[in-house]
Amino acid sequence: MSLAGTERRRQLFTASIGTALMLVMGLALIWGFRLATHMRANIIALQTASTLQTYPEEISHQLNALRDRLEVRAYSGQALADLQATVKRFDQELRVLSGSVDADSPQLGHALLLWHQYAPVLEPVVSFGGQPYVDSDNAGSSLSREGREHYAEVKRAQLFASENARPLQTQLANLATSLERTSSAGATRLRSLLMGGVFAALVLAVVAAYFQLSRARHERAAREAQEQTRDILKTVREGFFLLDAHYRIGSVWSEALTRMFGRNDFAGLTFEELLEDLVPQSTLATAMKYIKLLWGDRAHENLMKSINPLGQLEITTDNGHGGKETRYLQFDFHRVMGPEGIKHVLCSVGDITSSVLLARELHDSQENANAQLDMMVGLMHVDPLQLVSFLDTAETGLKLVNTILKEPARTDAEFRKKLAGLFREMHTIKGEASALNLKSVAMRVHTLEDMVGDCKKKPELSGNDFLPMVLKLDELLAHLRNVREMAARVTALKDTSAGSAATAAADFAASAHAPLAPAPITAMAPAPAAPAAPPAPAAALTAPAAAAPPARSANQERPARRVEELSPALQSMAERLAQDHAKRFRLTLNGLAEVPAPYTATIKDCLIQMLRNAAVHGIEPPEVRRAQAKKDTGNVQVDFRRTAEGYELLFEDDGAGIAPEALKAAAVRRQLITEEDAELMDTRAAMALIFRPGFSTQEDITMDAGRGVGMDVVARSVYALGGKIGVSTHPGKFTRFKIVLPATDSLSTAVA
Amino acid sequence: MSNGRMNGNGKRSFKLMIVDDSNLMRRRIERSQQFEELQLVGTAADGVEALELFRRTDPDVVTMDITMPHMDGIECIARLVAMKPAIRILVVSALADKATAVEAMERGANGFLNKPFTDRQLNEAIAELMR
Amino acid sequence: MLYEQELKTFVEGTTNFFEVAAQQPASIGSPYLMEGAPAVHEYTGVIKISGKREGVVYFTAPKAMLTVLLMKMQENDFSHETMRDLVGEVANTISGNARRDFGRDFVISVPSVLSGEKPEIPQRPGQRSFIIPINWRSHSAKLVVSLT
Repeated sequence: MSLAGTERRRQLFTASIGTALMLVMGLALIWGFRLATHMRANIIALQTASTLQTYPEEISHQLNALRDRLEVRAYSGQALADLQATVKRFDQELRVLSGSVDADSPQLGHALLLWHQYAPVLEPVVSFGGQPYVDSDNAGSSLSREGREHYAEVKRAQLFASENARPLQTQLANLATSLERTSSAGATRLRSLLMGGVFAALVLAVVAAYFQLSRARHERAAREAQEQTRDILKTVREGFFLLDAHYRIGSVWSEALTRMFGRNDFAGLTFEELLEDLVPQSTLATAMKYIKLLWGDRAHENLMKSINPLGQLEITTDNGHGGKETRYLQFDFHRVMGPEGIKHVLCSVGDITSSVLLARELHDSQENANAQLDMMVGLMHVDPLQLVSFLDTAETGLKLVNTILKEPARTDAEFRKKLAGLFREMHTIKGEASALNLKSVAMRVHTLEDMVGDCKKKPELSGNDFLPMVLKLDELLAHLRNVREMAARVTALKDTSAGSAATAAADFAASAHAPLAPAPITAMAPAPAAPAAPPAPAAALTAPAAAAPPARSANQERPARRVEELSPALQSMAERLAQDHAKRFRLTLNGLAEVPAPYTATIKDCLIQMLRNAAVHGIEPPEVRRAQAKKDTGNVQVDFRRTAEGYELLFEDDGAGIAPEALKAAAVRRQLITEEDAELMDTRAAMALIFRPGFSTQEDITMDAGRGVGMDVVARSVYALGGKIGVSTHPGKFTRFKIVLPATDSLSTAVA
Repeated sequence: MSNGRMNGNGKRSFKLMIVDDSNLMRRRIERSQQFEELQLVGTAADGVEALELFRRTDPDVVTMDITMPHMDGIECIARLVAMKPAIRILVVSALADKATAVEAMERGANGFLNKPFTDRQLNEAIAELMR
Repeated sequence: MLYEQELKTFVEGTTNFFEVAAQQPASIGSPYLMEGAPAVHEYTGVIKISGKREGVVYFTAPKAMLTVLLMKMQENDFSHETMRDLVGEVANTISGNARRDFGRDFVISVPSVLSGEKPEIPQRPGQRSFIIPINWRSHSAKLVVSLT
């Protein structure tokens, strides 16, 4: 805006300097010309005056000569003629001079006055035309009458001349001097004038030059500013343009727009034309309405900002390779105010594609995890009955998780109380999933476990922290359902190919159609340290104790088979554990066929946990074993047998054993006990630490151990069945767990 | 505002109409607005009722819900503005999407307030409306 | 599978209402899952959703809570109609929030209000719902998200 004004002012200034220069030169010239003319006249006058001053004397001489001639009666004609000529010339030149010299010159006035007196005296002399002499032979020549008069006139003139010739001459000389002075003054004036003119021209020229210089500087600054603007528009990552009242894009826009819209003909384009091929019609209509509103004054800037519908605009452009590309642009609008209201709307466009895509990617990766089909392969190798058993147990476990969640909570303490219970349930399910090599399930449970772990670290828990968990739980349940369906397909496939295992398939189908049938895990309810709340009023997802008996009887129909079936699963788990932890050991399983149905689930859980513990903590790496003169390959032995009181499970590994001091140290580190407590503990009490909730000696968390949950789960489930668990160890030699369970007929009383 | 009327105290006064299908919301707006110069001339539960009320009372300021039975707020705004261009309309809606806001503004609304709102938010929006 | 953001949008819509309308924030309780018949209190505001997701989202609150809420809103009419209006407004807010966040993918109905012990909430059999307790003062309402 000020740029144009400055330019106009500059042009005006240049023009006026030019005019002034012309004016000064013109004036100097005209004045100089007049001065020169005047001087020339003066010089001519000076010459005339100089000539004239000799005339009075000349006239006097000629008068004398004439008188002499007349006295000696000599020929006077020539003398008279000379006088006549002189007088005539004098008179003429004096007339000329008086015409050229200023009349008010006093010397000339005096000279003229004198001459006006002198001339009449001379007149009779010069006008004489008669014969001065009379020729008579006797007396020679004598003056005639005319001659005598003439002589008298001459003498009178001579007399006048003798008095006045000198003054006249003086006056003329003075006049000459005065004229000389005038012309020398004129010459000085002319010189000054010329010098003044030159000086003025010089001054103007300097001013003009200075002005030109500053103008060049301004232009350079303006050019630099323009270049900077251009550079900014070229490099800035946002798209910028101005919209005029006709929603047209101005001539200045930033290069980033080219990338965003895949075109470069923005200038003059309307906003509608910019978007019309890129967005759906409804979006375009809303956008145009919004732009129109921007030009109105009904809504202030903040309101307009809050209703901006182009905050995240999805556009589809050609990607330059014949394909389509979706981008997300963020438009911002600012009104540019002029003196008469809104002048332009400045529009800035940011490409937020990457951030939008990133958010989307997060979702997609979740989806991908859902679609993971690695389990398909795993399922092919899992016995359908085992799988169904697992799915039942897992679902029951998850229902227990849900029951824990359902317990109302408002305070941090109430929320925190849930965590331990949640953790234990997750851990059990994860253990079984790992045992069956159902990685997709194990991974999901692991994630959920992580969430619980993260929650533990939070200083203040609220319902919000549990939202992701319940989502994950839902997902896990959905996943289990998928596994079930997929397993049904796999089974069907196996059936058709083998034509056998019809019973298994029928069994499986029965379970598959009762996905929510509670599994034996419900038996845990009366455990001493049960995390779950008192049974909630019947809701579909809780694991109601009332529903347990039919499930149990279903289990009894297939006595012991499930644990028997577990053997291969345990063997494969052992293999995997050995491989994952670089251990070498042999697993020997005895008497699992004897396990009565009510104990199958618990025994299975216990075996999984203990096997994991043995593999991770018990059995030493081969090189360590070798150094201790043990065989490279360790032994893990499981014996189940019926006793007089009931049943007995022995689990023994020939590994490192358990050092009571190490247990105490770990317990102190985990703040389960204080150092003073540790001091006072005997070996027996120290060994009991491994059954404490939250205890683990493994520092890093893996899928298999180190969560601090393991043996406490085992212990709890054993107690829940009215059993006992004990441990004996010899550091460097072995660890032996002994689980004693009552006879099954006593179980009903334990549960009731 | 162009067409306020002088009341007894020499202050300008404006006639207010509240349009919302929820009785609760109508009372809430009526109770929460703190402008002495606003005088409630009536409340309407839908667009049709609002037009009827407008004909009888000629309000200057209107709060307008969008989602209403019979005639929705968008349609009602257009009709009110057609009858009285100087009318001032504040949209008070739970519809938080921009397209609704733009549509309402385009039809002639002068302000937009999202439900739920605090008393302060309501009063600021009305103040902005009457500026 | 429901995204966390979706659940959060519904939850925020609900808690926001309490914070703004009653000047007292609500907190959410321990969320859980539920299958089968809907769990409702006396007053329930329902929005139906279709499009990318199908199902219902509803806010159900006991009369006692609504009464206190109305008191906090300086309302002195505690009639049946006002209670219905109130849960309607909560549902309205949830719906508005959802439109803002997922307007592109969801078709969201105008809220309807149900009252009584056994309202007819359309739900697919076997559908698992998220139940999010909304705790406000000593009262507890529920936000139920039942979407596929």
